[in-house]
Amino acid sequence: MTLSRRRLMAGLAASALLPAASISNARAATPELRVATLDWALLETLLALGVTPVAGAELVLYRQVVVEPEVPASVADLGLRGTPNYEALRLLEPDLIFGSNYTSWSDPILRKIAPVENFSIYGRGAKPYANSEQAALTLGARLGRSAAAQALVADARARLEAFKARLAGHDGRPVLVINLGDARHFRVFGPDSMFGEVLERIGLANAWTGTTRYAAAAPLGLETLAQMPDAIIVVIGPMPPATRRMMAESAFWHALPNVRAGRVAVLAPIDPFGALPAGLRFARLLAEAAPFAGRATARG
Amino acid sequence: MADIASRQRHLRTPPLLWAVIGTLAALLFAAAIAFRQPIPGDAATARMLDQVVLWQSLIPRAAVALLAGGALGLSGALLQRVLRNPIADPSTLGIASGAQLALTISVIYASVLGDLPRELVALVGGLAAVFIVLALGWKRGLEPVTVALSGMTLSLVAAALSSALVLSHGEYVMSLFVWGAGSLHQQSWDGAITLSWRLVLGIAASAILLRPLTVLALDDASAKSLGMAVNGARVLVIGVAVWLAASVTAEVGVIGFIGLAAPAFARLGGVRSPREMLIVAPCLGALLLWFTDGLVQLTAMGGSDLIPTGAAAGLLGGPLLIWLLPRLSVAERPGAQGPVARRLARPGRGFLLLTLLLATAGLMALFIGRSFDGWTLVTGQMFEDIFPFRGPRVAAAIAAGALLGASGTLMQRMTGNPLAGPEVLGVSAGAGVGFAVVLLFTLTPSLALMMTACAIGSLVALVIILTFSAASGFGPERMLLGGVALGATGLAILAAVLAPGDGRAIRLLGWMSGSTDRVTGFEGLIALGAAVILIGPVLLLGRWLDILPLGAPMVRGLGLPVSRTRMIVATVAALMTAVATYFVGPLSLVGLIGPHLARLAGFSRGSYQMIAAACISATLMVLADWLGRMVAFPYQIPVGLFAALVGGPYLVWLLRRGPAKGA
Repeated sequence: MTLSRRRLMAGLAASALLPAASISNARAATPELRVATLDWALLETLLALGVTPVAGAELVLYRQVVVEPEVPASVADLGLRGTPNYEALRLLEPDLIFGSNYTSWSDPILRKIAPVENFSIYGRGAKPYANSEQAALTLGARLGRSAAAQALVADARARLEAFKARLAGHDGRPVLVINLGDARHFRVFGPDSMFGEVLERIGLANAWTGTTRYAAAAPLGLETLAQMPDAIIVVIGPMPPATRRMMAESAFWHALPNVRAGRVAVLAPIDPFGALPAGLRFARLLAEAAPFAGRATARG
Repeated sequence: MADIASRQRHLRTPPLLWAVIGTLAALLFAAAIAFRQPIPGDAATARMLDQVVLWQSLIPRAAVALLAGGALGLSGALLQRVLRNPIADPSTLGIASGAQLALTISVIYASVLGDLPRELVALVGGLAAVFIVLALGWKRGLEPVTVALSGMTLSLVAAALSSALVLSHGEYVMSLFVWGAGSLHQQSWDGAITLSWRLVLGIAASAILLRPLTVLALDDASAKSLGMAVNGARVLVIGVAVWLAASVTAEVGVIGFIGLAAPAFARLGGVRSPREMLIVAPCLGALLLWFTDGLVQLTAMGGSDLIPTGAAAGLLGGPLLIWLLPRLSVAERPGAQGPVARRLARPGRGFLLLTLLLATAGLMALFIGRSFDGWTLVTGQMFEDIFPFRGPRVAAAIAAGALLGASGTLMQRMTGNPLAGPEVLGVSAGAGVGFAVVLLFTLTPSLALMMTACAIGSLVALVIILTFSAASGFGPERMLLGGVALGATGLAILAAVLAPGDGRAIRLLGWMSGSTDRVTGFEGLIALGAAVILIGPVLLLGRWLDILPLGAPMVRGLGLPVSRTRMIVATVAALMTAVATYFVGPLSLVGLIGPHLARLAGFSRGSYQMIAAACISATLMVLADWLGRMVAFPYQIPVGLFAALVGGPYLVWLLRRGPAKGA
């Protein structure tokens, strides 16, 4: 404690009001705005723009689920997205905080720390990809990185076009993008999800035409898969242990025509509520997956 | 012994009612088969898939409904018999929630614990729950109301703990919601086969235990004189019942109140002997769950159940309990708060000490904390920077703790029941339902809207309870049970809202696990103001608080209008709970613990106990909030969760202590 206090006094003397000398040094070195965000989609967009925020939320889980772009170790972890540590954020003295419609309930408190700018990427009937492009451009303009933002958007489009060309020879079967919840239930991503919109942009049909709530439908019984025998089933990770066992053992699962014909792809974890980087990650992992890459056998 | 229907007008129509339920369930099943969705694609594949869906999904689902219902019916019948308690069942004893909590822990910490067998995990959780509940009720001779109270309180805490765990672990959320709410979707016969074995073994065990069961229905003395090892037989029967319920929870999740309803309906149909009951209760349980699941499938849209079957069954639970209560003969007894161990000669000093403790805790929470560099004592400019964040939450914690302590004192004094915490009035669950309703309309409600919704929810719950208890002259036992029933319904509604696992569910989970971190300065002031306004005037009612625990005849004899007094006290207690719940969620056990500690410290007079309890609870809440911020910095453990983790075991210990103290 004494050490912290001494540091604090030093900080006070320098009128930086910061507990850590390291942080004040970092600040002196970068004249840019110090930004922070509680939202994963904005965090990955910022990182893709080459902006390293001072703080993000729930980074432990981010590294497991979102995976890329990687978060530098210098980004402070603010704790759970639902209960971020405001004190810690205050001590980091951000100049600007980016939030989303999912974090807007905490705006009154965040505004006491720094101005808050909110983006809305997901919502009922929203276009998450288009919204993500817009968010990237707005963030770029705000942070003096317009060129990077335009490059990110253009590059993403070009890559999706490339995937589209690569998949053009594909047999035209619709794609069903799902998360497995446990051995008996799954949720499906509709046209108003990032995955749905990316499918559309790379020229694949979404097998799910039913209703969704906020991009993903409520959990469905696995037997509903029988309604879509033609679809290519794309399972987004992470997968709970019980679902791996189900895939290995379930007679029902192996009775499905999709599974029999190897029209199943299991992808590495992707954030279902991500932005452009997540969309691109999805497209890339999808195009590399067996049913599309043209390899003969698929993982069941 | 409390027995339903023994003094009832002779309703002997139920066998007809059973037949009607059975027929309806069969019709619903037939409809589900006949109108199953056609499968697209070429004819051969479609036919094959259709057969697979029929034989591997629809029919196993019906089998699981029947078997799970049967197992729960049997479990309920056994528990009711052995505890001589007509409202005992896996839900009211907290077995299902305990099992679910254990399963949640095993899934989230699978990487550490390894891939444990689900059934074993559920069994351990269920046994732990029933052990706690029985330990809490032991001092009062496992009297039905006390057992149900502690069971429902435990259910609430376990549900909140599960939700806090889920919340802290984003991605596997969906599966946990589905289990929590009891979904019956099937794609194989595995579940049905597992459950059928459990049911067969359970029935066999019950048959063997039939004689002990008959004897156990007598009181202990008679049973002993017949040469029974009473406690051994009891433990065996409870073990079988818990195992049945835990198997169901492991297989399909929490399914509420079938175990309560089946034996109740059986008794209503004139079933008396244990032998008959062990046959009829499982059959009725099976029919009830099959019928419920039929309704759920009828309202399902495109493979997605509108609400999970377990939650749907839970929705029946509250009304059922309320309907059962007037048929339950509960002897109104004078308060069981025995003489206090010692009485403080000079309470003034005691209050000074308590105030000092509270002030110390508050100052520590304000000035000592962690930053990215380690522990810090904040002073000067830094304090000014941090205060807008710490100040309101310390204020809210103090206010909420004080309100819960005061409310708990009122409840325990009014009912003479040491387990009557603020949670059991159903008021906090009502607040949760209000919150959930707002979330149905907008994902991002304003703070004012949320607070209003909580208040309206609490008030509606309160009005229901008061209306209901008015019929019985505000008898405390009835009021408590009504609150428990309402709380159960509220929990079922919350489970149904949580089941889809979307953004709303996350918000609701956040509230359930209790968090003071989003309190603004204005709200903190409101909280403190509410505490002063609500607690202050009640201090003038010290005489009421001294008299109320003595029981209705005494109260009347001393010239107080019993019903009106109780109604006023209950209303104040509910308002206190409503305000506190908004800030710290529905589960904090501090409202239950504070009054006990106050008594233990020797504050025996009504108004003294209330002030002391308010101080103690406020101190506990501030400490819980502070520790929750410190232990996993920068991650925060919700205050309610922390309070329950610390308070729960302590409460059990407290109530198990010497007879003169806890109870």
